[in-house]
Amino acid sequence: MLKATLRGFLAHKGRLLLSALAVVLSVAFVAGSLIFSDTVARTFDRLFASTSADVTVSPKKQIDTALPSGETPTVPAALAAQLARVDGVAAARIDAAVSNITIIDAHDKAVGPTTGGPTIATNWYVTQRSPVKLTSGHEPRGPHEALLDKDTADKKKVRIGDTLTVLAGPGSFKVDVVGIATFTTTNPGAALVFLDTPTAQSRLLGTADAATSISVDAAPGVGDDVLKQRIADRLGGRYELRTAAEQATSDAAQLGGFLDVIKYLMLGFAGIAVLVGIFLIVNTFSMLIAQRTRELGLLRALGADRGQVRRSVLLEALLLGLAGSTLGLAAGVGLAVGLIALMSLFGMNLSAAEMVFNWPTPVAAYAVGVGVTFVSAYLPARRAAKVSPMAALVDAEVAGSGRPLRVRAVVGALLGAAGAAALAGCASSTKASTASSLLGLGLVFTLIATVVAGPLLVRPVIRVLGGAFPAVFGPVGRMSQRNALRNPRRTGATASALMVGIALVTGLSVASSSMSKSFDQQIDRVLGADFVIQNANFQPFPQEITERIRATQGVGTVVRQRFAPVRITLPDGRKADTAASGYDQRLDDVAHLTYAGGGTAQALAADGLAMDKTYAHDHDVRIGDSLPVLFSSGQQARLNVAALTDMNQGSGGFATEGALFMGLPTLERYVPGGQDAAVYVNAAGGTPADRLRAALKTTLNSYPQVQVRDQSDYKKLVHDQIAVLLYLVYALLGLAIVIAVLGVVNTLALSVVERTREIGLLRAIGLSRVQLRRMIRLESVVIAVFGALLGLALGMVWGVAVQQVLALQGLTAFAVPWSTIVAVAVGSAVVGLVAALLPALRASRMNVLAAIAHE
Amino acid sequence: MSTPATARAYGTEPARPVAARARGLTKAYGSGETTVLALDSVDVDIMRGAFTAVMGPSGSGKSTLMHCLAGLDTVSAGQVWLGDTEITGLRDRELTRLRRDRIGFMFQSFNLLPTLTAAENITLPMDIAGRTPDGAWVDRVIDTLGLRDRLGHRPAQLSGGQQQRVACARALASRPELIFTDEPTGNLDSRAGAEVLAFLREAVDSLEQTVVMVTHDPGAAGHADLVLFLGDGRIVDRMERPTAEAVLERMRLFSGARPSPGGAPDDVLRKS
Repeated sequence: MLKATLRGFLAHKGRLLLSALAVVLSVAFVAGSLIFSDTVARTFDRLFASTSADVTVSPKKQIDTALPSGETPTVPAALAAQLARVDGVAAARIDAAVSNITIIDAHDKAVGPTTGGPTIATNWYVTQRSPVKLTSGHEPRGPHEALLDKDTADKKKVRIGDTLTVLAGPGSFKVDVVGIATFTTTNPGAALVFLDTPTAQSRLLGTADAATSISVDAAPGVGDDVLKQRIADRLGGRYELRTAAEQATSDAAQLGGFLDVIKYLMLGFAGIAVLVGIFLIVNTFSMLIAQRTRELGLLRALGADRGQVRRSVLLEALLLGLAGSTLGLAAGVGLAVGLIALMSLFGMNLSAAEMVFNWPTPVAAYAVGVGVTFVSAYLPARRAAKVSPMAALVDAEVAGSGRPLRVRAVVGALLGAAGAAALAGCASSTKASTASSLLGLGLVFTLIATVVAGPLLVRPVIRVLGGAFPAVFGPVGRMSQRNALRNPRRTGATASALMVGIALVTGLSVASSSMSKSFDQQIDRVLGADFVIQNANFQPFPQEITERIRATQGVGTVVRQRFAPVRITLPDGRKADTAASGYDQRLDDVAHLTYAGGGTAQALAADGLAMDKTYAHDHDVRIGDSLPVLFSSGQQARLNVAALTDMNQGSGGFATEGALFMGLPTLERYVPGGQDAAVYVNAAGGTPADRLRAALKTTLNSYPQVQVRDQSDYKKLVHDQIAVLLYLVYALLGLAIVIAVLGVVNTLALSVVERTREIGLLRAIGLSRVQLRRMIRLESVVIAVFGALLGLALGMVWGVAVQQVLALQGLTAFAVPWSTIVAVAVGSAVVGLVAALLPALRASRMNVLAAIAHE
Repeated sequence: MSTPATARAYGTEPARPVAARARGLTKAYGSGETTVLALDSVDVDIMRGAFTAVMGPSGSGKSTLMHCLAGLDTVSAGQVWLGDTEITGLRDRELTRLRRDRIGFMFQSFNLLPTLTAAENITLPMDIAGRTPDGAWVDRVIDTLGLRDRLGHRPAQLSGGQQQRVACARALASRPELIFTDEPTGNLDSRAGAEVLAFLREAVDSLEQTVVMVTHDPGAAGHADLVLFLGDGRIVDRMERPTAEAVLERMRLFSGARPSPGGAPDDVLRKS
């Protein structure tokens, strides 16, 4: 039996090729992402572990939000001297490092990573732990000298002697590059500028009395934990204390967020590949078994029992899985190398030579590869075991699968009803959390229902789709349509692979175009300013930019916006960490706000606070309430709820949780030294907007970190950000389509083999090669378009459901991206044509006589 | 067999026009030492309006002869004409068109497309050609074959005999110059087989068709006007107005005394 199985596997290896490819792709993504993230994790673990001081003393960070106030939390510089006296401290050094600066060269071009990495300015001192060493020039001395890291210097062609401008929070200043520092460890993708310690303190922090942290070295024989405890005893709980290990973990966690995105993205690709691959493998095995019915019948007649037949098919699957996983693992290594190379484009120099290959990687690879193949082949194997010995004696029935689809109808209908109910529940739900979980449930149920019921839809849909075929393409069209109809399970499963990808992309593009439209509406409704000046992510910029804007010719009203991370204690007992905005008084001139109670004047009054109406209602807040608010600076205040906004934007969209805002003076009082995150500008009377824009552009020429945007620019910015998400989705779709095409090719190729005699007959009675190819192409197109239609329909339903959830967060607009949908429909026909290329060629090359004689 | 007598074509009958003919038709498989001659310089004329049977033991080359005459297979040497058209040397596209428009086929099994109804199968060659079937003729064929009440059925819903009748109807429907059939009764029980043979006979007699049938069944050959006997790639004998018994007798002689080149027994060459 084993021998028969092995022979069978080798005999069909050509037919298993495409299935193997699907396994290889899934495994490659799983293995690649694991190898990559292990490599990155180890590289940075080493980096952080080797560069962290024994104990680091830093300001306590109270509130974490994505929108920083721009002020740099500091500790007193005098703390260093105090720490040096602690028993067991060998040395205590001041650190003055900020990462929210911009450096420009003489041509006003930013010197620093353009790919999202930070530009860090810090004070220069050398210890064993320094990640860099001076390789040319000399140390920075005095207020006008700086070192630049070698990677940045090389990339931006900066040489010793060049003058750079540092745009720091307290103000910009010029420095001469006097030396180049080279990374001795992995460069995590940042640009580094080094100043001497007094310059760093005064220029970056604005005062010589402050430090961003104190690095403490332990005396020999004193453990980090012991030292940390001693320092804690001396300083009390006012500061954050971390040992080297803790610091490394915390640094790694910060970087981890970015790396996790890559990891999950890759696993998403792997997931899609697995999902689509399953359809392909199930189909392949079903078809191989259908073709081998007589052979299996013979085995049964010769005395093989059902278990043996089933095991023989499963063994074939196992072999396929093992082969696919092994190749996939190799491909995964290649993928990891590619990703590491890609990272170096982003300035992160990982060495591919140090690739980490932990044991979970091959385990996961083989588990995925073999598991997927095994699971996919299980049902076909069971069917194979049911082949009766009689099958050996009668002509194999290959034409159509006569088994009724009743079970599918019932299961599909039940799941479909459950999915529809979940989606309906999600649409009518008013709580975002309930709606989201119902949405997830609904998506899964409707997907499975469509896959299960797909074969039932084959007849009606393809009747309609291919209805015009006989009229347009004559008998060739009729035969294609009938061929697509002859085995609804096969057509359904082939189309399902395409459906999954297209449903995902349709759902997400409906959701994203609804989001875009909602944002457009909000921008139209709310934004009243001629121009907004900000950088891409609401990150704060130095104060002098605001001053330059004010001084620009033609500028009328200027309203600044600042953020402050706050922890607000609500009457219902909840403590919410969020970011509050602070605005200047003339807010009404640059924004159209509607209120359910109070108004702009009250909201911006001293110690006043505005809150979203719905949020207030949900948390029992009323106008006049006085709420305790903790600011990131550590200051505690009580603010009066003076206005409730009615912006119909819930807690999502642009707004932060609660949509809190207050007067800028109030914010400034509790968070001094913050930086503006946006400046709204109206043209002065008589100044055309065009001229003001030109003037602002000139003013801001030497501040490349901020851009001037009017309403339409602003919309474009938002659209671009949503588009980034879409591109990822399109990449996922691309992969899904590649595998789905493999599936269609696979089905057609196996069908062609199966119908060899039929093709021979057709050729004998006069079907030309061109007609034969057209017949196969049309069948392919009709299957692909069928899959696309199912996907579009399912995706639309998903899109509507997702939009309902978004609407709860204020994104109420609904938009259908018709161009995308038409493109998908047309594209699917093209996919069908492409998939048919090889099978059609193969069919038309068949020898007529051999085909007729084919058994 | 390489006597001057074989230089004259078997089946030649000057009174009637020729539907197909071959001269020096040779088909070799393999090359060098392993060359096998399936057809060895065969000359044959197929008379229009006649029912010709080609008989011979397995491996005698009878199917190869049919395939070469029908333009399904290429020849190694010699020439083949269908009517006045020389088909040796035609390209695939022209051969396909020729098969489609001028030849009808009926195979031992698997004659029908499972996805098409009987009616659609019958008109398939004309549909492929984009020609409108001659309605009256097709109706006549259908009625002659007794398929009127089976037209809407799929092949899977028909018995083996009915399927062969549909195949027969398809071969007739386009009124081809020549119908080739390869063991049409091979997969049928004797009653259904006799029925199909009767229809082929009918096609020749009442519908004035030309039929060439390859068979190894003497009973089937007994329905023909003329039987050509093949052995080792050559036509070794012919029998006009055969009966099943006479054919059977002739076959016995063959199997008893297999012809060897240059030394065939006299009675094999004896005319009946």
